[in-house]
Amino acid sequence: MIWETVIGLEIHAQLSTKSKLFSGGSTKFGAESNTHVDLVDMGLPGVLPVANKEAFYKAIKFGLATGAQINQISSFDRKNYFYPDLPKGYQITQMTKPIVEKGSIKVSTENGEKIINITRAHLEEDAGKSIHDLFEGETGVDLNRAGTPLLEIVSEPEISTAKEAVAYFKAIRQLVTFLDICDGNMAQGSMRCDVNVSIKKIDDKELGTRAELKNINSFKFIEKAINFEIERQIAVIESGESVVQETRLYDSDKNETRSMRSKEEANDYRYFPCPDLLPVVISDKELNEIKDNLPELPEEKQNRYISEIGLESSEAKIISSSKAMADMFEEASKKTDDAKMIAKWLVGDISALLNKENIEIDESKLSPENFGKLIKRISDNTISGKIAKSVLEEVWENGNDVDEIIKAKGLIQIQDESLLEQIAIQVLDSNPDQVAAYRSGKDKLLGFFVGQVMKETQGKANPKSVNVILKKILS
Amino acid sequence: MTVKYKTIKEIKKMISQKEISHKEIIQDVYKLVKENSNLNAFISLNEEKSLKKAENFDNNPSDCSLAGIPIAQKDLFCTKGLRTTCGSKILDNFIPPYTATVIENLENAGCISIGKTNMDEFAMGSSNETSHFGNVHNPWGDNLVPGGSSGGSASAIAAGIVPAASGTDTGGSIRQPASLCGITGIKPTYGRVSRWGMIAFASSLDQAGPMARTAEDCALLLNEMCSHDIKDTTSLDNEIPNFEDNLNNSLKGKKIGVVKDLDLSSLDKDVIEVYENSLKEFVSMGAELVDVSLPNLALSVPTYYVVAPAECSSNLSRFDGVKFGRRSKNPKSLEELYVQTRSEGFGDEVKRRILIGSYVLSAGYYDAYYKKAQQVRRLIKQDFDEAFLSVNVIMTPTTRGPAFDIGSKGSDPIQMYLEDLFTISANLAGLPAMSLPNGNIDNKPIGLQIIGNFLDESSILNFGHMYQTKTNWHMFSPEGVIQ
Amino acid sequence: MDKKTVTTISYLSRLKIDPEKEEKITNDLENIIKFVDQLNDAETSDIEPLTNPLEKTAKTRTDQVTAKNLKKELLEIGPSSNEDYFLVPRVVE
Repeated sequence: MIWETVIGLEIHAQLSTKSKLFSGGSTKFGAESNTHVDLVDMGLPGVLPVANKEAFYKAIKFGLATGAQINQISSFDRKNYFYPDLPKGYQITQMTKPIVEKGSIKVSTENGEKIINITRAHLEEDAGKSIHDLFEGETGVDLNRAGTPLLEIVSEPEISTAKEAVAYFKAIRQLVTFLDICDGNMAQGSMRCDVNVSIKKIDDKELGTRAELKNINSFKFIEKAINFEIERQIAVIESGESVVQETRLYDSDKNETRSMRSKEEANDYRYFPCPDLLPVVISDKELNEIKDNLPELPEEKQNRYISEIGLESSEAKIISSSKAMADMFEEASKKTDDAKMIAKWLVGDISALLNKENIEIDESKLSPENFGKLIKRISDNTISGKIAKSVLEEVWENGNDVDEIIKAKGLIQIQDESLLEQIAIQVLDSNPDQVAAYRSGKDKLLGFFVGQVMKETQGKANPKSVNVILKKILS
Repeated sequence: MTVKYKTIKEIKKMISQKEISHKEIIQDVYKLVKENSNLNAFISLNEEKSLKKAENFDNNPSDCSLAGIPIAQKDLFCTKGLRTTCGSKILDNFIPPYTATVIENLENAGCISIGKTNMDEFAMGSSNETSHFGNVHNPWGDNLVPGGSSGGSASAIAAGIVPAASGTDTGGSIRQPASLCGITGIKPTYGRVSRWGMIAFASSLDQAGPMARTAEDCALLLNEMCSHDIKDTTSLDNEIPNFEDNLNNSLKGKKIGVVKDLDLSSLDKDVIEVYENSLKEFVSMGAELVDVSLPNLALSVPTYYVVAPAECSSNLSRFDGVKFGRRSKNPKSLEELYVQTRSEGFGDEVKRRILIGSYVLSAGYYDAYYKKAQQVRRLIKQDFDEAFLSVNVIMTPTTRGPAFDIGSKGSDPIQMYLEDLFTISANLAGLPAMSLPNGNIDNKPIGLQIIGNFLDESSILNFGHMYQTKTNWHMFSPEGVIQ
Repeated sequence: MDKKTVTTISYLSRLKIDPEKEEKITNDLENIIKFVDQLNDAETSDIEPLTNPLEKTAKTRTDQVTAKNLKKELLEIGPSSNEDYFLVPRVVE
């Protein structure tokens, strides 16, 4: 039997507002427990929510960038359930009138580009955190995160493989970071996702019964969890049983999903319009202002890099693949007039270093200023490209200033032509056999002489000048 | 010199003529509180701080509009540092870290909050019998209920302890006890008074308002209670008029809507007679009676008993024993913590409404009950919109009769729910409405309800005040007519 | 309104119904539901529900942090807390 997999993702992206969705509490990550808790976040008796307009603006940016319908009147509903880190006993969310509906995003898959449709993207408040392993027999509740605005991005069930799901998630992450509406930091939980997985026979029109995999927060685990779940469902059906609609938790240690049914027990969220919040209206003026100020998106950047700056298309693609990379390119380019060289280094040496350490460029010690300076020192002949590599290595290690490294290590390129001539003559004198061979027609030996001169100068000579000097002496 | 049975106006005059000091007023109030402790009108008192405030006014005379006026606050408003129970066991140890906007407004105007008044648990009740802190008694008869849910506030004013109190009204909780205790109380337009710090029962219906002896005092209080509050997005930013300005306007040619669909046949003859007499009184002042039709009025009680429980079931979820309030002893698991805390902490009526609310919102019933009720609610509002095209105010009896005996409504909740038949529709439509004393039946007071158009508290107060210049029902006390 | 429905809604509400009160409560709920069934008398097919009497739109806030650190105060209100967290019986995931 050939089974077809149907996957839909619900991505929760924390919006990078300063304050919470309904209170003036700070959303800053990593604060001491329960220090960013406003009376509203605490759900105290008598408190009332007031919506943060900025969260709407950020959601609208996402809607515009995905070609979606923006609902200029949207409203809030309550989703009722009990949990210790849900202070009010309900979550305020947008069930009936979400701010964004019917968008789509282009995703690069193994089989080329695919459009994945986005059903809706709605605003809701995040819960606090329950800490289960810190105290004997007790769970601690930290409400710092409670009320942080989330954009829940719901895809259509149009994703066919685990890899495609990852590609979709990556595309969304790329987009929200370019839009500057979410920092995309998965380790800090800024982006999380629930995955709906079902399987069906190829010819079946109806979708199969789905299982919901909860709260997965890395690309690797999305792929593993989906693949495990597909195998599980196939095994269930092929053994003659049927898949149960339920929530399952992915255990990354054991690489398996397991039922959370015990927790759900006939849950019924009893959604209803939140009577404390009137509908929020976005005016045409506000909408146009957001439209006019929408940041440049990856594809636009890529095209501009090619047509205006003259980058190779492969370079432009790599540089525009992440916000951090594009920012580095654009910022560093301001410090030099050789954007192309910036690009070469980014795609070459720097990408290699990033891959080796498996980090993003904004996690490295390299600042755009320092990077720009490094390239500038190559183009103004202060250092050679080879020296530059060793300078980069040091910057990568400790983030020190490029000029200071050059100065401290005496790496400035030898500009004195007569000194280079002297060294060149020395080199030729100590290699009479090679000189004879060169003269008899072995042109390639010029490279050997250049290398010897570079060695003598510890790389501080400009290879181009050395070339010219050697040719002059040998002719 | 005593302030017993005095109005705000009278106390202000006593102060300005230096007949009494601020401290003496507050001392007298606490003396009256203690003499009337059998009423069980207060849950918590604020004696020390109140005396200090009074002394402060004596030392530094203030020109605030209500400087030194003693006021009782319904125990549903959060008061920083002062226990706030909402009449419930689940909050019997709750000391809020903040103060409700309306309380702040009153205190900024100089009011001295002398204590927190008893009430039906979470404002769910019409007799004050659901309070965890015991029944409130009506000063008009020890075995009579004061009405509810603002029964403690109404009782304290009727007994002459304080000239003013705050109340809240979700389905009649200001007007019904005002009627049963023989005082004046107004529920403003939904959104006039900030709900910040008011412990929510049904958020789309709840509205705070003043209770006092006279319409004129209600106007003084309302002037201070209303505000545009950025902390409550349902707080209106319409201009707030000076509610004293139109009190004395002539009623000549003004139109009073009389609801022709109202079935008064189930009411006592006496009740109808009192009601009709007051209509005649208004006619004698030049007002005209106009028939209006509110065809969906009869559905207001069933509408209310879907909408209010639905909202309350969600609003009361935060009382889970995790972050504040009472927690059951030694729960073995989280589930046990929730279930035991809530089962021990809430009384039967609150539980009943939470269960109804959960039911009408649950899958499969939402459309048939919750959505349906909100649709009927719109019909009710449309009826009022239509009626107010041709009248200035609408009048009905406030209650089906005067105060009833404690325990007499038995165990059938629907009998109690029908108590609010005349009052509920104003909450559903968000309209302002007032009750003021308009007669006595068997030496028990009863009230007239005046419903106004959206934002038109001024007309209600005008009608009320003019009535009180012609009649003296508001001067009746359990001890006889106040001199 | 049968026993099973009452069990479900009391579970959703996290309320325990005393066995001796169960019959009375089931009865009360049944009667209340019958009472509100009167709503079916109204014709509402094209009527938009009215969820708030103010048919207005919301005022919103600008994105500013205005909250103070209330950690100590709030944890003190908690029925069970240590110096850092509100505490509940261990939740097993």
